[in-house]
This record gives sequence, structure tokens and C-alpha cells, in this order.
Amino acid sequence: MALMQIAEPGQSPLPHTVRRAVGIDLGTTNSLVAAVRGGRSQVLVDESGAAMLPSVVSYAGGSPQVGAAALAGAADHPADTLVSVKRFMGRGQKDALADAARSHYQLAAEEGFVRFVTRAGKVSPVEASAEILKVLHRRAVSTLGGDLDGAVITVPAYFDDAQRQATKDAAKLAGLKVLRLLNEPTAAAVAYGLDAGEEGVIAVYDLGGGTFDISILRLHRGVFEVLATGGDTVLGGDDFDAALAAWLRQQAGDPALSAGEARALQSVARAAKEQLSADERVSVDLSRVFAGGPAVEISRDTFEGLIQPLVKQTLRACRRCLRDAELEQDVDNVVMVGGSTRVPLVRAAVGDFFAREPLVDIDPDQVVAVGAAIQADILVGNQPDGELLLLDVIPLSLGIETMGGLVEKIVPRNTTIPVTRAQEFTTYKDGQTALAVHIVQGERELVDDCRSLARFELRGIPPMVAGAARILVTYQVDADGLLNVSATEETTGAEASVTVKPSFGLSDDEVATMLTESFSHASEDMSARQLAETRLSGWQLLDGMRAALEADGDALLTAEERAELETGMTRLQELLNTEDREAIKAQTETLGRQSEAFAARRMDKSIRQALTGVSLESLDEGAPQ
Amino acid sequence: MSSPDFKQNYFELFDLPVAFSVDTAALGARYRQLQGEMHPDRYAGKSDLEQRLAVQYSSRVNEAYNTLRHPLSRALYLLELVGISGEDVSRQQVDGGFLMMQMELREKLESLGELVDPDTVLEHLITEIGDDLRVLRGTFATAYGAGEHSAAAAACVKMQYLDKLLREAEQLEAELSEKRA
Ligand SMILES: Nc1ncnc2c1ncn2[C@@H]1O[C@H](COP(=O)(O)OP(=O)(O)OP(=O)(O)O)[C@@H](O)[C@H]1O
Ligand SMILES: [Mg+2]
Repeated sequence: MALMQIAEPGQSPLPHTVRRAVGIDLGTTNSLVAAVRGGRSQVLVDESGAAMLPSVVSYAGGSPQVGAAALAGAADHPADTLVSVKRFMGRGQKDALADAARSHYQLAAEEGFVRFVTRAGKVSPVEASAEILKVLHRRAVSTLGGDLDGAVITVPAYFDDAQRQATKDAAKLAGLKVLRLLNEPTAAAVAYGLDAGEEGVIAVYDLGGGTFDISILRLHRGVFEVLATGGDTVLGGDDFDAALAAWLRQQAGDPALSAGEARALQSVARAAKEQLSADERVSVDLSRVFAGGPAVEISRDTFEGLIQPLVKQTLRACRRCLRDAELEQDVDNVVMVGGSTRVPLVRAAVGDFFAREPLVDIDPDQVVAVGAAIQADILVGNQPDGELLLLDVIPLSLGIETMGGLVEKIVPRNTTIPVTRAQEFTTYKDGQTALAVHIVQGERELVDDCRSLARFELRGIPPMVAGAARILVTYQVDADGLLNVSATEETTGAEASVTVKPSFGLSDDEVATMLTESFSHASEDMSARQLAETRLSGWQLLDGMRAALEADGDALLTAEERAELETGMTRLQELLNTEDREAIKAQTETLGRQSEAFAARRMDKSIRQALTGVSLESLDEGAPQ
Repeated sequence: MSSPDFKQNYFELFDLPVAFSVDTAALGARYRQLQGEMHPDRYAGKSDLEQRLAVQYSSRVNEAYNTLRHPLSRALYLLELVGISGEDVSRQQVDGGFLMMQMELREKLESLGELVDPDTVLEHLITEIGDDLRVLRGTFATAYGAGEHSAAAAACVKMQYLDKLLREAEQLEAELSEKRA
């Protein structure tokens, strides 16, 4: 970690190297990867020229198969072919059961987050998603001609903390450096906004395979400010398929179907649905689903009747989102995203609702990945003068459990992120040394109706009389929309230790174990590589510090502080000539910590210079430990 | 406050005079400028520490912007600047006349369900509350500007009552339109 490499904000420390960065749309049905090349953001294709990778992972054979090949075996191996795993990301066993039954998966009977039982053993949605991401990762490396510097992964705006965390874990498992989790509708707005140089208010209506999102943004000189967002993380084209499949089965006299036949019925229904976007009437041959199945005719009208309630449900979310946005004007543009917006009824209903002809110029399948790639390109520093900035919001309120199972809101939905909120607690018993906190996400008043995110215990509170301790808990939602919690006891300054136990999802340890597992087959010269990497970060720190001392050492450090840093640097320099990886690592970390205050002052100074008229307090005591 | 304490108050941070009436265009422009410098996206390739600091700076700017953007939170903040806390405000005595009016409005709101045409009545009610709020904001601005802080606090607590009522009325309106759709 090159702590001292502070350039002016927005300026890349290495101006001449173009870094490789991609945007990845990890979809329920299809996934894509895009990159900015030659100044244009475009999707990257595989050897056969296909951009879309079906989000399907098969565990039927030896090693997992991904994409079209996996999809081909879905009817023969329903339980081993995982489709639409995104619907299970970060979800608990209990609330996923119904969905799993419909998809013919077997879930492992265990507490906590979902695992599918397949021929290859238990598989989590995170692992399955990582397989998809690995394929896109490889595709990007070979197309762009080298290792990636980072990736922006998109998530539905309406994803909660656990779903976001699961997505980030999957990307880490796939060996990607995650620059940012970006909301899908925001990505789409970027793709459109930049293209058209628009100013004004944009509504993004994104109906994909498994999720629905609506976002309202204001675009102003390259700044995209999300005003409100809403949606449903389990509503999409899959549900259109299910409605049509149920109707077809009814027409055929409600036959009992095996898991494989049910899968086949679903894919027949999907094909019919897609055809109905172009044709008024379609004939479905059910003999392809089960022996003796009849041919059933369906008109677009009938189909529209089946999906009408679902479309209405999306409009309700639109209405709420508009209200939340507190607009004082009409929406200027409506952008359509996602394959399911090809359904004529959807287009008409959305057009009616906003009283605007929706924009469909950019391929609705690709627009999210294209926008994500633009953001990735900026984040790795390829566009030092770029104006673009995305200001996003938290989609669901964060709260904590209070007496009687009620929720007290801490951060209301649609608050711009990053956001930090602090809250004070006290003890209710004499000598109490621990306090339990339960964090939930959602809009309802009862804890049981909200999503449980984390439970943690504050321990080590100094014993005092009841009500004397003042425990400050700080909740911080970062730019990825992920929550971090810290706590201190204020009267004594004691840092109460916080153990955040995710209710679902993976703990860092679990990710670490999975990473080690997936690396265990890797090269023999692991230790040599590790030494080289450790040395490299040591050298980088030294280089960065030398440059920093040269530039600002006199202005920002006392003679003592400078001497202390220089002693640490000499020590590191000596160690770098040895083979002792542990010692190098330890000294790099120590020196990194020692230089934190200096780094903070430099950052403070550079922001101050950029904002004439704003002075910020020096940060040495302000930074969290 | 665990985020680094900027020496300035929110108004100074946004280059605005310390007063109830704000130039919303200037507020928005300054907000975008500040985030343009401090947002974590501007530090994506930098060290962990810088990223952490950027999250704190940027949070602080968001907090300030949200406080200044909404009239009620702005009024509360202005009072805080002169040493009147939110708790002090809620402890303010409210005159009987206002309480009566407030109760009448609330009763109207609660009996809406029994009406044949609740929408028109509700719309009226919302306009009425909105008008009252505007008057109170004027009172607050004048009192605060003249340094009459307790009069300002008295206006602020009424704003709080009406703001709550307005939000309930709007919620009802939303539910009604939901039902119709
Ligand atoms: N011509 C069409 N008519 C109707 N539906 C279509 C058409 N083309 C694609 N779809 C549907 O669009 C859905 C896939 O859309 P898309 O690829 O945008 O989803 P995704 O990005 O994978 O999912 P999500 O964004 O929900 O995670 C599928 O349900 C598919 O059947
Ligand atoms: Mg999608």
C-alpha cells in the first residue's frame, strides 16, 4: 500500500500509463463486461463474438461450466444447473425457500445464508457468481492484453447491505479488485447522460430478468445526483416467465411435472414471451416439455393480462420514488434499461406514467456495463480532468432495534452516501460491561418485518453506575453503500470492541478461507511471489515517503516528527535487503501507521488548495484508529 | 463527532451568510464543487487512509448540505449555533391558539376516511398547512435576523408541529392515490 502517494485530487500519480479497468454488469440472466478503449466505452465479446454471457453455472460435470454450455444442460440436471443465482445473493435460508422450490434447487439445511446442494457439493450464490465473474475477468484480460487494475461491479440500486457485500465477496473470489459497487440505474444514466450531454432530471426504469429498479437523478455539469431510488430485488422477467408457465400448464390440464420438465416449461415460456414482444400471437408446442403435451395458442392480449399486476407493481414503486425525489419539475427524460423493457406493455405503461416517450437508443442489454466502464476508467485515473461525479443514495433505511422489537431509524432511505451518523447509548444496570446492538434495514416499524443485517456486542465497557457510561456508536455507509460500525465509550475514552457478526453473507474469515482454497492449486513458488510482493510494497512506501518528505516535510512536520519517520525509513531500507518477509511486512506496516498523520495533513493541504476559501482542521486527532 | 471537525460551521463551509434564507442555487453549486474535491471516487486509487478520510470529509459535506437544504433542519441548526439545542426547542411552550388550530387540523386529517371525496379536502388541508408553514418561516427568519432567539425558537417548535402534520397528510395522499391506481 503506497500510503504516501498523494497527488492532487483527481490526478493520477503515473500520468502516462493507461490503466486497465472494466465495468461488469453481473445480471440475473446475462452478464457483460465493458471497457473504455480509444475514448469509447464498449462491451467486450468472447471468441465467438458474443457480448452477453448467460449467468448460468453448471456443477453437473467435473469443474464448473459457465454460460451457454451450462444452460444447455439445464433440463437434464435441474438441481446442478444454477440459473438466476443473483436472486439468492446475500439472502437468508428462510426467505429464499419459496424461490428455491420454484427453481428446483435443493438448499442445504443449515442456518444463515443460502447454499445449494449440487453434485459438486454445497455451493453458495457467492461462489457461483464468482465463477461467472472469472469468465468475464479472463475475457477482459485477454482482450485488453494484461492484468486489470480494477473493476466496477454493478448492483441493483435496491440491493441491501447483505446483497452488496455478497456481490463484493464474489468479485474478490474471482480475483478482481473492486473499485466501486455502482448502482445499475446510475450506470445507465451515465451511459446516456454523457452520450447526449444532457442536463436535467432523468428517470431510469430498469426491468431485467430478476430485479426491478427505478431511480430519479439530476444531471448538472457532469454531476449525477441521485435524488431517490426504489424497486424490488425479486421482480423481473423471470416472474413474467413464471406467470406464463403457470398459465400454459393450466391450459394443458395441470399435469404433474418433474423438475426437469418444469425447467423446460420455463424456458419454453420465456421463448414465447420474447416472441410476443414482436408478434401478436404465438403457438407453444408443449410436447417439447412433456410427452403428449398439446400445442397452445396465446395472444399478446392474454399475456398482457397475465403480467398486468406485475407491471402495476413497478409503477407503484415509480410513484413512491417520484414522491421521494421531491421534484419541483417534470422528469425530462426516461431511460429504459433491461431486457424486459422490450415488452410492449411495459414500454407503453412507463411512457404513460411519465408522460414521456422513453429513450431506448442504447441497447438496453448493454447500457449498464457501458456506463460502469466509464466510471471504472475514471476511478483508475485515466481521465484526470474528467468532470464526471456520481452522488448516489442508500436505498433502504438503516435502523437499530429498540425496546419491544421496534426499529429506530438512524439513516433514512435516499440519504446521499457516504454518510456518517453517530448515536449515544448508555448502560441500564450498575456495572454493566456489555451492550448488544442489532442493526436492521428496511422501512417497516417492527424489527421482524425488516432485514436483519448484523448483531454485535460492545464489550469492555468500564464498570460504572447505570446511566453513567456514554457509548458513542458510529455508523458509516461508504460510497459502495456498505455499512461499517465503530464504538467508543466517551467518559473514559475506552474503545469498546465491536464484533459485527453478519446475519447472512460471509465473514472476512470465510472469504479469506475461500480465497486460500481457490489459490491452493496455484503455483509452487507462492512464497517467492509473496516475498516479491512484500518487498514491492515496502519499496513503494519508501519511494512515496521520500517524495512526500521532499515536497512537504519542512512545511508540515516538526523536526522530531521528521526524524522519527526517517529512522523508520532507514530500518525498512535495511530490512529490504534481507529475505525476511515477516519483518519487512511488519516494518512496512509500522512505518505506514507512523506516517498516517503526515499523509492526512498532506491530503488536507491539497484539498485546501483546491478549495480556496475553505480551511479544514488538521486531522491528526480526527482520523479513526 | 467522530468525523474530522471542520473549524467552520455549515454556512461557512458553503460560503453562505449565516441566515435563514439561503440562495438554493448557490447552495447546490457549492455542494457539487465540494463533493467534486472530496468524494471518495476522487481517491479511488489512493491509500486506504486517504480513502477513509475522503469518506469522512464527503459525509460531512452531505450532512451539511442536507441540514441547510431543508427549512426545518436549517432553522434548528441556526438555533444550535446560538446555543439552543433541539431539546430546548421541543421544551418550548406553545400558545393555546396554535394548539387549538393544530388539533383541528389533526381532527380533520383523521376523519378523512369517512368522507366521500377525501381528495379535495385533503388537498385543501395540505395547502392550508403549507401556507401556515410559510408564515412561520417568515416569522422565524425575522426573529432570528433581529437576534430575538427565543422568539425564533418559539416559531421553530411550531414549524416542527406543522412539518410533522404535513408529512402525515402527504403520506395519506400517497396512500389514497395508491388505492386508486
Ligand atoms: N424481446 C424480449 N421481450 C421480452 N422479454 C425479453 C426480451 N428480450 C429479453 N427479455 C427478457 O429480459 C430478461 C433479461 O434481461 P437482462 O439481460 O436485462 O436481465 P439481467 O441484467 O440479467 O437481470 P437483472 O438486471 O435483473 O439482474 C429476461 O427475463 C428475458 O426473457
Ligand atoms: Mg440488468
